Amino acid sequence: MANSENYNEIINDISNLKKQKSSQLSLVWARFKKNRLALIGFIIIFIIIFIAIFAPLISPYDPLDTDPINRLQAPSKEHWLGTDELGRDVLSRTFYGSRIALQIGLLIVLFEGAIGIFLGVLAGFFGGLTDWIIMRLVDILRSFPVIILAMAIAGIMGQGVYNVVIALGIVGWTTYARMIRSKILTIKNSDYIEAAYSIGESTPSIIWRYVLPNAIPTAIIMMAIMMPTALIASATLSFLGVGVQPPTPDWGSMISAGRDYLIRAPWISTSAGLFIMVTVLGFNFIGDGLRDALDPTTKRN
Amino acid sequence: MKNKYWVMRILRTIITAFGVTLIAFLILHLTPGDPARIMLGPYASEENLAAVRAKYKLDQPLYTQYISWMGNVFKGDFGTSIRYNRDVGQLIAERAGPTLILTGSGLLIAVIFGVLLGILAALKRNSFLDYFTTFQAMFWISIPSFWLGILLLYIFGLQLRWVPIAGLMGFSSLILPALSIGLREEAWFARPMRSEMLEVLNQDYIKAAKAKGLKYSVVVMKHALRNALIPIVTMLALRLPWIIGGAVVIEVVFSWGGLGSLLVNSVLARDYPVVQSILLLISITVVLANLLADIIYAVVDPRIKGEG
Amino acid sequence: MNDILKIDNLKLSFDTEEGKVEALDEVNLSIKEGEFHGLIGETGCGKSVTGQTIIGLLDNNAKIEKGSIYYKGKDILHLKEKEFQRNIRGNEIAMIFQDPSSSLNPVFTIQNQIEEVLKMYRKASKKEFKDIVIEELKKVKLPDAENLLSKYPHELSGGMKQRVMIAMMLACSPSLLIADEPTTALDVSIQSQFLKVIKELKEKFKMTILYITHNLAVVSEICDTVSVMYAGRIVETASVHNIFKNPQHPYTNKLIHSILGVETTLEDLEEIPGSVPRLINPPKGCRFHPRCEEAVDICSKERPYLKEISENHIVACHRR
Repeated sequence: MANSENYNEIINDISNLKKQKSSQLSLVWARFKKNRLALIGFIIIFIIIFIAIFAPLISPYDPLDTDPINRLQAPSKEHWLGTDELGRDVLSRTFYGSRIALQIGLLIVLFEGAIGIFLGVLAGFFGGLTDWIIMRLVDILRSFPVIILAMAIAGIMGQGVYNVVIALGIVGWTTYARMIRSKILTIKNSDYIEAAYSIGESTPSIIWRYVLPNAIPTAIIMMAIMMPTALIASATLSFLGVGVQPPTPDWGSMISAGRDYLIRAPWISTSAGLFIMVTVLGFNFIGDGLRDALDPTTKRN
Repeated sequence: MKNKYWVMRILRTIITAFGVTLIAFLILHLTPGDPARIMLGPYASEENLAAVRAKYKLDQPLYTQYISWMGNVFKGDFGTSIRYNRDVGQLIAERAGPTLILTGSGLLIAVIFGVLLGILAALKRNSFLDYFTTFQAMFWISIPSFWLGILLLYIFGLQLRWVPIAGLMGFSSLILPALSIGLREEAWFARPMRSEMLEVLNQDYIKAAKAKGLKYSVVVMKHALRNALIPIVTMLALRLPWIIGGAVVIEVVFSWGGLGSLLVNSVLARDYPVVQSILLLISITVVLANLLADIIYAVVDPRIKGEG
Repeated sequence: MNDILKIDNLKLSFDTEEGKVEALDEVNLSIKEGEFHGLIGETGCGKSVTGQTIIGLLDNNAKIEKGSIYYKGKDILHLKEKEFQRNIRGNEIAMIFQDPSSSLNPVFTIQNQIEEVLKMYRKASKKEFKDIVIEELKKVKLPDAENLLSKYPHELSGGMKQRVMIAMMLACSPSLLIADEPTTALDVSIQSQFLKVIKELKEKFKMTILYITHNLAVVSEICDTVSVMYAGRIVETASVHNIFKNPQHPYTNKLIHSILGVETTLEDLEEIPGSVPRLINPPKGCRFHPRCEEAVDICSKERPYLKEISENHIVACHRR
């Protein structure tokens, strides 16, 4: 090598490393660790998950316990975050709300992700008419504001948590599909796939052994990145009255209920809102960190 | 070649529009069960059910229903609201204005603030302003818009009493709702603007422009901006559905009498003619806006030779 | 004849993530008025940095540690940016860049980009400006200049773009033109067209040109004087004749004797064992000594400074 300019060397090394899957993961992890915000995000989410899992243990009251005499009490020693319009302890409801939020969020991204992977792989791998049809479907769905379409669907399907998941899943897979499709397109013409074809490997086998293992890590990372959207979307739907029904403690519906008492008891809406914000912020930090770790050369910073 | 691109593009728009109408139509038929009963509720009389079935041709095969529905739409007949017992078209016409104003203001706030912040952050790279821009962007997209609306309402409407808290009473009632939409969306323009600006400033033609002896302000304002703003057009088209979605929610928070609050109430009241019509309207608007954005982009960027 | 440009002991470094890169280490270079001065060296030797320093377009992490650059007798290195931009850049010193595709703003027409320069220095009517632009384009032998006006850069070929760039920079009427590897991105066939234009610049318009390149063939064809740069230092300066017929510095010697054909660039030379040193921790003494066949003890200890060994021929080597 006549000209070993440092920078080019490093870039070459990195791209060589990228081609090795196991090293890829550790490289990504190394970059991720360096990102302080991402670490803060991790801590936040860790705490929220902790709260969600141990809600029954750490909540001072039963979130469904009404106590009409003590309704709309300001934060005090007995009720750290006050009580709501039915006398229920806001702190406990907020803790329990994290369970619903995380569960629904997870279900949503998994559902969206599954559809997205499926259609993305189909579109990317088979190309041609399949690709065209799927992309038109993407175009069509993306012409609707997510919340609006999801609300209409969930509203028609009826109340309930699972309808929210299904509605958002049906509407939200487009982002995943596009990403996965691009990823598939980049590897579709790789040498190892051509080689596999030439030795007579069947298409389903090729998809299973080569295509999917490339698609899935991307999808998983996308799910982490899309969690914030899922969380806010489900909270918005419950705020609007679709989806999670009372008395289930849910951050979105708590904000909605608290709205009528904004002057008298602002703590109802505020605590739920703060929790949503912090959780989403945590996921956003992580998501940003993941994006940077995966591809530090994109025009982000 | 250029023409071929546009023909394909318009074809795509037509297909997308068609698909959009299909979905708006099929919404009602998603759940098993009698659509008439779904619309009128479990306590409806047989008479009313029969009337609805006749009016919307619910006994006919789906494609017939679709064709007659689309036929009506083209004639301007959007059906009758079950809840208000009024012509849907009229209802929409009444409430479209406020929604347009709200959406437009939100968009304006988002673009102006976002672009400005993005440019400044890029010019003063790694300064406090730069980190602040990035950080506040992340902050805004982490707040649910409806909660932001409620917060603003609480602080500025209830506590400080600077602005009215509900309804359409002139400009002062527009500020909070528009801010609730705009502040959140601004993040989606600030960061890309910054990235784009940074990348443009790194280009050789910027160096060449400086080498010509041009003043730095001219280099930035004329040469850099003109290039960096181009992707913003695309971003606008991309964010439009989200801005509209945000407007719908904000209308509920602020009791803003527009299409958004009408839509939400109609969903909850199962007033499906209204729901379908508004859905259709919004999505067609988005489809057209996307086409418009492509056209503007081609006009604004001379490099686009029309290769789809 | 006077020196229109004199670089005096210029020392410059870059603050990078990997460390301090000592890009220019006490560089000395003089260019006489009307001279066609070639600056040759391998990639990374600092020749482009030299050009950028003269015209003041360095990156933010560059630090000028010592030295000066005198233009027409005045120190321009330490001028404030505003003054530099107003008085020097463009109308006194101009620069043409390596890749014409990326050096022209893609969203403005050719007319716009050339007019912009003219408007800085004079007032005229719309029609007059248009005519002047056509004149400038004709100066660089662009055919059908009128039709080019409303075209955008991407509609032009590489060779045409390069000539437009020259026209654009010439419109400023500079006294010194710095050309930073202008033919590197061009096809060989286009190169000759380009060189014709450059030669004419020199003959007809008496322009002083600093021509930075790694293409020895071009240098032999159009330059009067040549400076050879290695690892941030000038190692030899002489007339083009002497550089090619009587190279003194071992490095120059190797370069010249490896010329094989018209297109030889310095990158084709595999005969020199070893590699260009990294400028983060450069070798002590003479920076070429690790690869030099004539190196002796002192070469690794003391830096050789440029000294005159015959008329207008200076070399930095302990063995001469």
